[in-house]
Amino acid sequence: MSVIAESAVTGPMPATAARERDTFASLYERTFPRVYAYVASLLRDRAAAEDVTAQAFERAYRRRGSYRPARGTPEAWLFGIARNAALDELRRRKRHAALAEDPEDAGLPVSEDHAEHALRREVVRSALAVLDPRERDLVALKFAGGLSNVEIARVLGTSESNAGTLLHRTVTKLRKACDELA
Amino acid sequence: MNSPEDTMLMERDLAALDAALSAGRADHDDEDARELQELSLCLRADAAQPDEDFERVMRVRMAAGFPRKQGSPRGRVAALRSRMPRTLPTMREWWPAAGLGATLMLVVAVVVVALPGGSGGGSGNDAGSASGGGSAASDAVTKLKAPVVTQSPTSAARESAKSTVDSAPPETPLEPLRIGGSRFSPGRANRRIERSASLELGAPADEMERLADQVNSVTARYGGFVLSSSVSSGKTDGSGGDFDLRIPATRLRPALRDLAALGSLHSQTQSGRDVTRPYVTVASRQEAARAERTGLLRRLAAAGTDQEAEAIRVRLDAVDRRIARLHSQLRGLRLSTEYATVLVTLAADDGSGAGGGSFGDAVNDAGDLLVGAAGIAVRVLALGVPLGLLGLGGWGAWSATRRRRRESALA
Repeated sequence: MSVIAESAVTGPMPATAARERDTFASLYERTFPRVYAYVASLLRDRAAAEDVTAQAFERAYRRRGSYRPARGTPEAWLFGIARNAALDELRRRKRHAALAEDPEDAGLPVSEDHAEHALRREVVRSALAVLDPRERDLVALKFAGGLSNVEIARVLGTSESNAGTLLHRTVTKLRKACDELA
Repeated sequence: MNSPEDTMLMERDLAALDAALSAGRADHDDEDARELQELSLCLRADAAQPDEDFERVMRVRMAAGFPRKQGSPRGRVAALRSRMPRTLPTMREWWPAAGLGATLMLVVAVVVVALPGGSGGGSGNDAGSASGGGSAASDAVTKLKAPVVTQSPTSAARESAKSTVDSAPPETPLEPLRIGGSRFSPGRANRRIERSASLELGAPADEMERLADQVNSVTARYGGFVLSSSVSSGKTDGSGGDFDLRIPATRLRPALRDLAALGSLHSQTQSGRDVTRPYVTVASRQEAARAERTGLLRRLAAAGTDQEAEAIRVRLDAVDRRIARLHSQLRGLRLSTEYATVLVTLAADDGSGAGGGSFGDAVNDAGDLLVGAAGIAVRVLALGVPLGLLGLGGWGAWSATRRRRRESALA
């Protein structure tokens, strides 16, 4: 359905709905790249990540009235929806596909350090394979999603201290794996 | 369990991670922490970036409010919803409406059950209580008496009617039937019970005619008949009426319920009398008399002299009359158990207020209504609480199962 057709059906938007849409648009602007990065980290498939990201935002948009501030930040709420959508997709496919293509850093300037930087990234990627899926999920929420520990705790349904402990344990394990690979 | 030192170290590392992610550089004094900062920056830099085309498409879709495809069921539902003045309320917003709805349902249930003729849980007594246990008011006036030793005016009238049938004087004295009393016939499956009930209904004086018609109509609907009736109508103090009804005993309960619903129920009584013993006795006597008659006929056929034959004929006549009398008694007993006697008295309500009665009556009515409401509330809770707990448990189990299945994708 085209945008014009949708507008013709909906007609003038009530003030409450317009306010909700503006709020959601703001959330979208803040989180879109991070949600995509998180989902892509989880799925390791660019096309699937796009589908799931779009699906997650659509679901969140439809359910925007169900958000309750008492249950956490809007980011935590949105990442919870995105995580559920990604896990559903993983379960549906029953496999972990490799990334179709590695993400490119088109905006990064080429420098002398670039080769060393790329090498280090390769090591980190290899070290990530040492982690189990739950630990990779945690790393993705923290570094790709950019969530705080409180928000991670909300998404995973655990306490903040537990989320912090898990995160520290995972990062320490990852650093050790990097040291061994380097 | 982590030691305090481990906890402090962990908190330092986590703070260092957040600082690096926030500032975009690794500059912690501690080398270990700095390494973690570098690792975190590397992980963040390695995060996938969305494709520009995808980003553009998403931006357009966001601006359009993520429209659904035209023609799809969800799209049609979305189009319908968009025509509503605002989005549908959330669950939290539904709660007041749900509470109001539940209260209204409770009030309706109380009114329906508390009104005369309303049916409730009831005791399920086989003697046929007309109104259920949910109505405190009707419970208060419904008295079931079975068996009843003393004869009520109703049964007296019935005995009178039977006596006219049995008006022929007996040729030979029969042992009088004992109805009621301490004699009974235990161990019989199909007991013979005489049932009777009386109702006093109130209605405005000018509605007596209509009420009388409705009494006739209800009686006919349940296969009964009006044995006698008298109705006086008009806007005088003497308005009222009496009905002597016969209603099939098997349909007594619904008939009483409908009769009680015709007006304001002032009082209602029921009684039952076990007449199995006299019924069995009369039946046995009848059988014995028939056997005697058969024997006399056999002797008459074999009689040798006219005198002997004449004597047998006289005895035969006497036995025939006895059989006829016993048959009549048996029929009367059968009818009295198959049809219940229902006396309906119509009384004009005085015009003092819509509810009628004094302030004390109003207080009593209010008390009865409250008791009835409490009874209904207990019943609703008895049903609703287990169902609610079951639903809650089911919802929790379903949620936990769904979450576990989702998490299994990471296993």
